[in-house]
Amino acid sequence: MYARKRLKKAVLVVVALVLTILNITPLIWTFMSGFKTRLEIFTIPPVWIPKSLNLANYEAIFDKRLHNLENSVAITVGSTAGVLLIAVPAAFALTVFAMKNKKHLEFWILSTRMMPPIAAAIPLYLGIKEIGLYDTRWGVMLIYIGFNLPFAIWMATTFMRQLPGEIFEAALVDGCSWPQVLLRIAVPLSVGGLSTVAIFTALFCWNELLLAVFLTSSNAKTFTVVLTEFVGQTNIVWELMAAGAVIQIVPIVILTFLTQRYIVAGLTMGAVKQ
Amino acid sequence: MAANRRIRNLFLAPAIIYLLFMSIYPLIYSLYLSTTRKNLSRPYQKGFIGFDNYSNLITNDLFRTAIENTIVLAVASILIELIIAFFIARLFVAISDVPGSSIIRTVFILPMMLTPVVSGLLWSYILSPSLGIANHILRELGQAPYPWLASSDTALKSVIMINVWQWSPFLMLLMLAGLMSIPREQYEAAAMDGANILQVVRHIEMPFLRNVVLIGIIFRVIDNFRLFDIIYVTTRGGPGSATEVVTMYAYREMFGFFNVGYGSAAAVLILIMANIVTLVLNRFIRGEEGNVR
Repeated sequence: MYARKRLKKAVLVVVALVLTILNITPLIWTFMSGFKTRLEIFTIPPVWIPKSLNLANYEAIFDKRLHNLENSVAITVGSTAGVLLIAVPAAFALTVFAMKNKKHLEFWILSTRMMPPIAAAIPLYLGIKEIGLYDTRWGVMLIYIGFNLPFAIWMATTFMRQLPGEIFEAALVDGCSWPQVLLRIAVPLSVGGLSTVAIFTALFCWNELLLAVFLTSSNAKTFTVVLTEFVGQTNIVWELMAAGAVIQIVPIVILTFLTQRYIVAGLTMGAVKQ
Repeated sequence: MAANRRIRNLFLAPAIIYLLFMSIYPLIYSLYLSTTRKNLSRPYQKGFIGFDNYSNLITNDLFRTAIENTIVLAVASILIELIIAFFIARLFVAISDVPGSSIIRTVFILPMMLTPVVSGLLWSYILSPSLGIANHILRELGQAPYPWLASSDTALKSVIMINVWQWSPFLMLLMLAGLMSIPREQYEAAAMDGANILQVVRHIEMPFLRNVVLIGIIFRVIDNFRLFDIIYVTTRGGPGSATEVVTMYAYREMFGFFNVGYGSAAAVLILIMANIVTLVLNRFIRGEEGNVR
């Protein structure tokens, strides 16, 4: 009986392993293709493992596209910092202060997230042009912060509500001011939750395409936009595309492994009690 | 207390002002633009035309195709994702006590963390008619090559496949979290009563999964109404209008033809449709639970 149970579990583990490997085969294939020469790309039948560890594709991208990678990094870091700076005090206020119509305010904040980006595209594009921030990192960050605030405030509020309210009162009695309560007590105690907020904001900014396409043209162009340009209509440079794709996803893969326990918490947004 | 109120407003004000600028201002501006014939490449052509843009849109064949495709894409993708997610989630629950299974799980969910542009690109390489590994494998198996993204008969199916590949892990994770929150005693009690697997699924697992799944579906509906990146790098709506979706349509009008008046009308219609679907699903969640958002 016991042995049969163990055997069944072993079979299930093997099934899970096989399905998982199949599921990420496209990633493995792309990873391999990033090392291929132009000749190997056009070889029929296709080669899985390139003959040599050819780094020419990576060199070409770092040579020509370093500036766009820097844009992506700067915009991701800047937007995430901006989101935390604005969302955390707001979430704290929603957590600790009594307020008329609080439910309505919270619902309104979350509902702004439902807006499809395309519905705001033209007004935002014209507005950013008007204030002279078109094709600048600041312009992109300004818009990215706005798109991430609703979800960030909502998530941060969910996490701060889980803290015991007595701690804040005790700190006030001890002579702390409200900003001190926020910085010295609420933020350190909800660091896990706030990391989740940061991870999801960073992921959004790093992955975003539509807004970046019309907010930038050359100076502030992000790496996601550059990737779309490898597939022109006539000449598709698959080997560069593959190398570019790998550069784009390596940070994501690392982040996913480092933060796997926060990801479920962020996705379920408290819909499931852990 | 007055001091508290000042602090509270100070903390909330930046967020609220920001969100007003990000939502109310674009909304009013878009509504206004949608009633004009404004075109960015013809700066002097303005003029209020009432609801003409809207009536032109509703009778436009390409826009109708875009709506149909968006609905087909959303419904088909979400249904397939739900089925795959349910089985994979059960598999991962069954092995959740095996050491190292959380690493396998993390590898499995990688597609959903990927930049959508990248998943579009890597699949367009894999599905490329002549160079792609997919058709090579089909040929090895003695099958005829499949046109994938290159033919108007198969392009939408291929986009759905890419979509499903990327997002099944999302619903899988939600279901996994739901299944893991079921107390073990419930399963034991069911086993004592001699319940079969279907009864366990129906009476124990479904109630626990209901809300997470509904929330997951809302997110996926919103995502599919916004779907742009994958289409933009694989087909741009083609061949013909086979994969035209609403966001691509509005984008092309606005930034391809600079028809911002007409494009804004399309955007407003997308907004209205997305809101209706979300409200209906939200009502559905509140309906029985009462207190869930």
